[in-house]
Amino acid sequence: MSRDFYTSSILPYAAIIIKICRAYTNTQEDFEDYYQEVCLQIWKSRDNFREQSKWSTWVYRLSLNVCLTLLKKKKNSHQQFASDSLIQEEIEEGHQFVDESLNQLYDAIKQLSEIDRGVILLYLEEKSYQEIADIIDTNPNNIAVRIKRIKERLKKLLYGKVN
Amino acid sequence: MEKSIESIWKEGFLKKDALVAPKLNNLYNQKSKHIIDKFQRMYQINRIAIAAFALIVLPVSFISKLPYLGVLMFIAFAIIIAVSGRFMKKLKAINTGDTSYQYLNSFNEFIKDLLSVNEKLSRFLYPYIFIAIILGFWFGDIGGNIPGKEFVSKLIVDYPDMQLVLGLPLIGIFGATFIIFILALFGGIIGTWDINLVYSGVIKKLEELIGDMEELRN
Repeated sequence: MSRDFYTSSILPYAAIIIKICRAYTNTQEDFEDYYQEVCLQIWKSRDNFREQSKWSTWVYRLSLNVCLTLLKKKKNSHQQFASDSLIQEEIEEGHQFVDESLNQLYDAIKQLSEIDRGVILLYLEEKSYQEIADIIDTNPNNIAVRIKRIKERLKKLLYGKVN
Repeated sequence: MEKSIESIWKEGFLKKDALVAPKLNNLYNQKSKHIIDKFQRMYQINRIAIAAFALIVLPVSFISKLPYLGVLMFIAFAIIIAVSGRFMKKLKAINTGDTSYQYLNSFNEFIKDLLSVNEKLSRFLYPYIFIAIILGFWFGDIGGNIPGKEFVSKLIVDYPDMQLVLGLPLIGIFGATFIIFILALFGGIIGTWDINLVYSGVIKKLEELIGDMEELRN
């Protein structure tokens, strides 16, 4: 991957890649692995970009797909090898943001289903329902209903905990 | 007061260091380790299976009164285990401290070496196994009789004009020699096919990774 490609085509979208990878990982090591894998897949699949959507939309979709695939692989390997205590250990070692509210929000997001995590991340990044629908491959109405339900769940998780 | 999730998100990421992209300096590090670990596990399981089989074959052959077959097969398996033991040491000696690219290239060299030795060994082992099976049954003990002698006696009755050399039917010697020749000729191909059958997934993945990394370096 050339430095130019990384600087011009990936770095401007690094924020969303970081946010997505954080939502699907519990440790710094996993986060770095996921981030690197997403960047690699963007670089490797760049010729498949057909300009039918915006580059950013394509990057988001690819980031989500890579994270979901890696998560699935990780789950399978955990089912085969790891004990529950190991998984617990990973959660305890998880990355923490400076902002405590953000940490709580991320903890709540991680309790959502894998697809709902992707939907809410894109919503929080102020993507339109149409864009989210394009990325998730569904229709905007479905996304609107889904976001409403996810927000209610998150509020319950966040403030239900506080109360 | 309850903050909306949108404002938590926005304000949280305004803080310094919230969005630091990891450096891309050690790409494929984890993948390289995974692929070699996977191969090592498969290789070790394979060795244990061969060793177990060798240990079963020996007593079973004596019980079945086919001791030559058992001993000869045991020797074949022992050779395979000894050679694979040497390769296991080589595999463990691959330096994990190298960069991913060097690490994978060292592993690739190891695979090439393994395939080459396996090919040479197979040219000898397949004919050897065939001879072991023939001799094993020929000099075995079935119902108190030696099957080889029984077989020749029956052949002489059915084909009295048959030519014998050292008490063995000439046509049989030709047939066996032909099969041994074919096995020696194609043993290498069969051996490579056998290795690919077990490890093709890992080998293909390795080639893909090295290809990617070479493209990355250019």
